[in-house]
Amino acid sequence: MKTSFESSDFFQAFSEKRSWEPGWMADFRKDSWNRFATLPKTKIKDEKWRFSPRTRFGYNDCDQLTDSPKPTTLEGKSSKNVIFESFDQAILDHPKLLSILPSCTGPKLGSDETFLLGSSFSESGFILKAKEEHKEEEAFICRHFAPNQNRSLFQQSIVSIDPFAEVTLIEYFDSEDQSSTGILSNLSHIQVGEGAKLNRIVVQRLNNHSTFNHLEKIELGRNAQFTNISLQLGSAQTRVESRGDIIGDAGEFNNYSLSLGRNNQLFDQRTIQHHIAPHGKSNLLFKNALLENSKAIFSGLIKVDPKAQNTDSFQTNRNLLLSKEAEASSLPGLEILANEVKCSHGATTSKIDEQELFYLQSRGIPKSTAEKLIVLGFFEDIIGQTPNPDLVESLRDEVSKFFHT
Amino acid sequence: MIKPSNIEIDREKGNFHYPTSKYAFDAGVGLSEDVVKYISGVKNEKDWILDFRLKAHSIFEKKPMPTHWASKDLENIDFDVIRYYLAQGQQPSRTWDEVPDDIKNTFERLGIPEQERKFLAGVEAQFDSEAAYSRMKEDLEKEGVIFVGSTEGLRDYPEIFKKWFGKVIPSSDNKFSALNSAVFSGGSFIYVPPGVKLAQPLQAYFRINAENFGQFERTLIIADEGSEITYMEGCTAPKFETSTLHSAVVELVALKGAKIQYITVQNWSNNVFNLVTKRAMAEEEAEVRWIDCNIGSRLTMKYPGVILRGRKARGEVLSIALANDGQHQDTGAKMVHAASETTSNVIAKSVSIGEGRSSYRGLVQIPGHLEHCKNNTECDALLINSDSQTDTYPAIAIQGSENSVQHEASVSKVSAEQIFYMQQRGLNQAEAMSLYVNGFVNDLIREFPMEYSVELKRLIDLEMEGSVG
Repeated sequence: MKTSFESSDFFQAFSEKRSWEPGWMADFRKDSWNRFATLPKTKIKDEKWRFSPRTRFGYNDCDQLTDSPKPTTLEGKSSKNVIFESFDQAILDHPKLLSILPSCTGPKLGSDETFLLGSSFSESGFILKAKEEHKEEEAFICRHFAPNQNRSLFQQSIVSIDPFAEVTLIEYFDSEDQSSTGILSNLSHIQVGEGAKLNRIVVQRLNNHSTFNHLEKIELGRNAQFTNISLQLGSAQTRVESRGDIIGDAGEFNNYSLSLGRNNQLFDQRTIQHHIAPHGKSNLLFKNALLENSKAIFSGLIKVDPKAQNTDSFQTNRNLLLSKEAEASSLPGLEILANEVKCSHGATTSKIDEQELFYLQSRGIPKSTAEKLIVLGFFEDIIGQTPNPDLVESLRDEVSKFFHT
Repeated sequence: MIKPSNIEIDREKGNFHYPTSKYAFDAGVGLSEDVVKYISGVKNEKDWILDFRLKAHSIFEKKPMPTHWASKDLENIDFDVIRYYLAQGQQPSRTWDEVPDDIKNTFERLGIPEQERKFLAGVEAQFDSEAAYSRMKEDLEKEGVIFVGSTEGLRDYPEIFKKWFGKVIPSSDNKFSALNSAVFSGGSFIYVPPGVKLAQPLQAYFRINAENFGQFERTLIIADEGSEITYMEGCTAPKFETSTLHSAVVELVALKGAKIQYITVQNWSNNVFNLVTKRAMAEEEAEVRWIDCNIGSRLTMKYPGVILRGRKARGEVLSIALANDGQHQDTGAKMVHAASETTSNVIAKSVSIGEGRSSYRGLVQIPGHLEHCKNNTECDALLINSDSQTDTYPAIAIQGSENSVQHEASVSKVSAEQIFYMQQRGLNQAEAMSLYVNGFVNDLIREFPMEYSVELKRLIDLEMEGSVG
């Protein structure tokens, strides 16, 4: 079945609506759309989609663009040293910052379709640029809202942290109501410069009819530090693609994620930690607790180039199955081309420890509450990575709200 | 025989062959239906076997190469220049003097007994050796063990072997199992009656007057209820194999309470594509153990698997891979849990030397209706030089709250400190390195029967020569 995104009339109409944009932006959209229109047919056997019920991520039912007036709201202001603006505003005010878009490649972990659609049709998102040596205490907050009934929303964000700056960013992904079926496709391009530090927290609480595509590519410069903490709580299905390239010497990349699956929820996670430069460190920990019929797929790769000697890289996937029907698939991978390295990966899948459960029950705690406590404990080493202690408590509450007791 | 590629291989190493004119039967080069019919005709096979072969041939034609995930090097295989069947009608006659010196030397250094050495070198079977092994054969027959070649197995004992032949690994499993099913010859068919426990391991080269070193050998081992068997497949013919494609199919059937241990030491020369499909079926309380050691070949793709069909069945894969310059050891294990209380264990160790590349690919599957299944997987990789490469690609699919799996992999390099320590005690660098590598794989090597572990240690020493300094 063809979606309207594929029709050139549809794209034409969209372009006319955005005719106020500079010519290079229009060219970029046109080019992306042409590449989308000529994408080769999806193959049945694609390693990048292994174990994934791919049809659940199709655009067939949501092939109209969103018409909600403000899909992204920002909290936190631009200042002399920081630019924090919505996508549309930045096109007008800071076209130069957006001009990197044509050279952005995305994570390239399977969702070419979403990436090219996002490049063609993105209408929202934000730009965060911190100038050299600027340290901001207050977190920048961005709230994204999923589109209304049977529509798709494409958005792009650019985060660029100049050398020696330090910034915290929190992104919320929410639905405006509990019943709309829609697709929210988000592309993030993140660059952390020399000696700079970025903490990013992603909280996804979409309603359980929505689809969430979350594609991010992170580039780390020399001595740069990036910590990503992701809470995947909502949506019917979520596809996360995360690529971290350590381009500068001794860059440090921490990627933490937790998913709480209920009903028929699907979390499809694909990650790569790519060490291009030597002395880099990366640490990945993805934890999934799966209830009812939920399903998680984790596919991760550590890639160490021949030049990236003295790399320390770890990748861990832990799955907790709380029902007979829950399902977890792991594809932890290593590709090591340098010999002076410390690399390891681990993947485990198991159920709740009977003894722990018994202990709590023997103290008079009902089984369901005991399970909840154990799951919260299971997630603690992700939430505990949050740099700001005030935030930790609120994130705990977020997770616990999603538990039916 | 292989199209030119970027991997440069010393073809002279394997350039040691029987003159083809000595063969009584030759199917020529290339593969077609006529070739399949010819092979079947030469073997005087029943119609159902010919049908099986023809069907497999058509599957082979249709199946794509697995290159969407596997090494692109596979595309260098030219199926049209391969000889699919050669048989001499009798043993090749050649004297020990005709065997090139370097091969003799290798045998010497490996410490292979003279009898086997001559056999491995393709020298006509010696009368003495026949006598030595035939007593063993007699003993086996007394116990009711059937130990024959694939042709004899299907011809003389169809009532035993037909039931399982091609059932564990159907022809359509992959392109190379289809190829093997179309043109197979050689290999071993073994049946162990209920309750018989073989004290001695069976080895392929006991069965002297048959074709052993087929390119497309087919092995089927059936261990009946409560029986035990250890089978050793020694491709210990170093730098000798002339063919460029070796594609075997090995099926094991362990019925209730049976135990099978299958040991392979693969040391093909560096111009061989070794694409082997090995799978076992384990019924209730049965135990299957694959011990797999890959040292030779240009590209090996081999993932021994166990389908745990009965309650409390157990599967195990112990694997050692050594990849040197120009080699890619793509090995792994598959554990398919299909009954409750089944357990599986995979321990894989690989060493990459020079520009060698070793990969681990694994599959563990536990569906949700099962309970109390367990899997443990450990992969350790050792990188010797800065150009060495290692990859790990496990796939683990688990359902249900009553099962548990754990997977761990680590990559490390030789510790400079330990090498220094050994050098300080008077070992030279190469010896120290060799000792280190032997230590790394030691806990797996101990699982091998004595003579194999000695041989393996020496093989590792040989491979490590000149890899440092």
